[in-house]
Amino acid sequence: MGKKRTDLEDGVSRRAFPIPRSEDTLHEDEGGDRDLTRRGFLGGAGAALVVAGAPKLGSSKPPSAGAVEQEAPAVPQTAIRITVNGIEHRVDVEDRWTLNEFLRDHIGLMGSKIGCNRGECGACTVLVDGEPMFSCSTLAVWADGRDIVTVEGLESDGAVSPLQQAFMDHNAAQCGFCTSGQLMTATALLVSNPRPTSDEVRQAMVGNLCRCSNYNAMVEAVVAAAGTSGSGGAQ
Amino acid sequence: MSSTRAAQQAGQQVAAMDTVGHDVPRIDAYERVTGRATYTRDVRLPGMLYARVLRSPHPHARIRSIDVSRAEALPGVRAVVTHETHRLIYSSGSIAGGQQYNDAAKDRTEHVRYMFDNPVRFVGQPVAAVAAVNRYVAEDALQLIEVDYEELPFVLDPEEALEPGAPPIWPEGNLALDRDNQPRPSARTSGDPAAGFAAADQVFEDRYTTAFVQDGQMEPRSALAQWDGDKVTIYTPTQGISNCRHDNARDLGLDDHQVQIICKYMGGGFGDKNGSYYFDLIAAVLAKEAGVPVLLELTRKDDWLGTHGRWHTVQDLRVGVAQDGTVTAIALEGYSGMGPYLRRSGGIAGIDAYACPNVERVIYPVHTNRMVSGNFRAPSDPQGYFAIQSMMDDIAYKVNMDPVDFALKNVIRPTEEVRFTNYSLDECIIRGRELFDWESRWRPVPGSDPGPIKRGAGMAFMAFRSGVGPSSAIVRVDADERYTLFVGVTDIGPGAKTTMAIIAAEELGVPLSQVDVVWGDTDLCPYSVGESGSRTTTMTGYAVVQAAIDLKRQIAERGMPRGDDVLIASATPNPSTEGQRRMVFGAHFVEVEADVQLGHVRITKYVAVHESGRILNPRPAKDQIRGAALQGLGQALHEDLLYDSRSGHPLTAGYYGARHLTYLDAPEIEVTFIETDDGYGPYGAKTVGEAGIILGPAAVANAIFNTIGHRMKELPITRARILEALA
Repeated sequence: MGKKRTDLEDGVSRRAFPIPRSEDTLHEDEGGDRDLTRRGFLGGAGAALVVAGAPKLGSSKPPSAGAVEQEAPAVPQTAIRITVNGIEHRVDVEDRWTLNEFLRDHIGLMGSKIGCNRGECGACTVLVDGEPMFSCSTLAVWADGRDIVTVEGLESDGAVSPLQQAFMDHNAAQCGFCTSGQLMTATALLVSNPRPTSDEVRQAMVGNLCRCSNYNAMVEAVVAAAGTSGSGGAQ
Repeated sequence: MSSTRAAQQAGQQVAAMDTVGHDVPRIDAYERVTGRATYTRDVRLPGMLYARVLRSPHPHARIRSIDVSRAEALPGVRAVVTHETHRLIYSSGSIAGGQQYNDAAKDRTEHVRYMFDNPVRFVGQPVAAVAAVNRYVAEDALQLIEVDYEELPFVLDPEEALEPGAPPIWPEGNLALDRDNQPRPSARTSGDPAAGFAAADQVFEDRYTTAFVQDGQMEPRSALAQWDGDKVTIYTPTQGISNCRHDNARDLGLDDHQVQIICKYMGGGFGDKNGSYYFDLIAAVLAKEAGVPVLLELTRKDDWLGTHGRWHTVQDLRVGVAQDGTVTAIALEGYSGMGPYLRRSGGIAGIDAYACPNVERVIYPVHTNRMVSGNFRAPSDPQGYFAIQSMMDDIAYKVNMDPVDFALKNVIRPTEEVRFTNYSLDECIIRGRELFDWESRWRPVPGSDPGPIKRGAGMAFMAFRSGVGPSSAIVRVDADERYTLFVGVTDIGPGAKTTMAIIAAEELGVPLSQVDVVWGDTDLCPYSVGESGSRTTTMTGYAVVQAAIDLKRQIAERGMPRGDDVLIASATPNPSTEGQRRMVFGAHFVEVEADVQLGHVRITKYVAVHESGRILNPRPAKDQIRGAALQGLGQALHEDLLYDSRSGHPLTAGYYGARHLTYLDAPEIEVTFIETDDGYGPYGAKTVGEAGIILGPAAVANAIFNTIGHRMKELPITRARILEALA
């Protein structure tokens, strides 16, 4: 997956739209064009949501309530194999589903949030093969063969990660809506850079907005977590 | 002032307590960092449908007809509603005089806002809604709804809207109606302004303008409605479940007990979410029509344009000053852009922070065809403080005074007529001057650094209400000595649940771990004023103290409960400060660095000194000020909502467009609290979070003047505006 980029416009830095790797066969030539609308970019004209193909393997949860509908014409589907928080799922997904829809609506992982659904805010950030990605702007089919970690996957043996503990200790969540995304980006940072400076934390997390503007508390939490054993890396 | 009065005005020093005043992690911190916290959109009910809203593409248009037949025929569509099928009043959407919690004012207004209105009066106004089996079908169905619009002339600028011949948004014209349904400005005169100006040695006049600022909460709004017979349960992000229930019951024609509001976690409040929203109503009618639960989700753009934000203003100020720097008179003529409905007051604050007795204020809340304005954290304040304190800062230089000395000469102080529960404004300013090292950072000659990178300093100060009033709490103890606190709060971010638990633990004399909190559900919790207006800690917190005192009395009389027995206490106190003003005080000192070639401004030091009474939980209190100050910086330097004057379309809706602050734009904010106990509220606690946003724009603007030598009179102070000033 493409590394996050930073571009500067009038002093405001934003993380670029996440771009699929070239070996992602679907929609690969559309990934870099930021002028496309999200809907056009992600493809998929309307038809009913069909939860097709119950998981063939693994321990995927059943489709969430209210999602099943059989009366509309089927839409294109693709069989994928995807690992989420260590559990492998083999499922047919609609080509139009975002990774976020798959996680929230179809395997019931509500931790990643939708703040804008257009790649502006970072509340939906999850790890894809260890890289923080906007799950609102990543199609589920692109995640075929990938290893996904969400905020629900940060605990191990019932214990929160050192990063999560630092977030609790440093009041890093005010309203908490952006917190899951913040944690995922910071988790990836601490893997690639176990001892980041405050400035490095700010650079790495620039794509995750916080309207409570609790940025300084989160920087302090990440730096503090880096000072504890085990950093805060994903399991 | 007598020495006794001086002691009273200073407040009492705070003494150490058991739980209060210690850093306590939030009682729900674990839920917040593990994804377990359930926000409205995370709730799933069996068989529920997804809903979307069709919105007006025109700033002003009459709907000749709506044809929903093709939408209704789309497989998967379960319900379509329009203004023709459901003509419900959205009663907290347009209120006489902007009186938000006043039933009579909601009944009285002649400018009624409907759930779906005709004519539509702004781009983004709801026109119709669809419930369908999934989001894809709902979105496709919107595109099949055919609306025949007759486009009407529109107006975007408040001053143009008041000119003769401006397109009338309401039959009475474009000046908002007051509480008596009269199109009159809000006018208030104190002292003798004419005599004050006559006594002045110099009179200064200037114009300042401020931009619209969307609250921009991270959680896009949504509502999930479920009917059970004639009772409806609505999951919705609200800052006040009690007010939300009452408003929705009014508008749905139900009694309060027929509406249950649930809000467990919500992604940011910032002021605009106390009370109900029209999408609660839309979800409720769709769920009624479809016979199953309906989740209505607003997209980010729906949320940006279809909710509210801080009103933009134009402020003409006139200030008279005597030779010694004493302000003798202040006159303000202000225009507040409210959009087509008066959701909130349109007030402009700031002048009350000065001692000057001769003040004339005339404020015109004006209707335009921009999106609707409403409350955002200290609703009337940052825009007003920016104008008056820029003006005063400018005058200080013109009369050859240090702006801090000028401030100390003119700040409001206690008098026989103006009494405070305690007073610390001058102490905040003096402490801030020391901590900031004003003498070394402030340039006696503005813009005197050689450049191209220049530095300079500015400051601003404030006094903000922290009233007392009615709210309720219930506390129960069982035989296992578990104390359960029932409070009608939601937790919008400041940590109200934890604060309420801290207060209960302190008063009951038990460890925090023995206290459970039940919150966010009107079927379980007593009335609460809601987390807005800086009231939860002071009002609901005081109710917790009183309920706990009663429970202790019961335990003393009857012993701890045994077996399945419980003891329960409740309280609904309605305290009064007996004519004294209860206020928080603060001063912010800012150093900026400006690149005069690029126009770029960077904050290099930010000191915030606040007196908010006793601090109950220090770390979240500090973060409230830090976050609020950063929001103020966003208003100062970045945020705006631009409109295309030809089409009436908004151009910069969303986080990119508004240029919200990121990590890289967020300087360290150094926070100092001066703690006192004035004997009111829970242990002398006052409001914290709201006031922190007030001073950023004024202090930054003053620092920029000191740095570049040019007075920036329009918010936001963008790079383009700085380069224009320097050109």
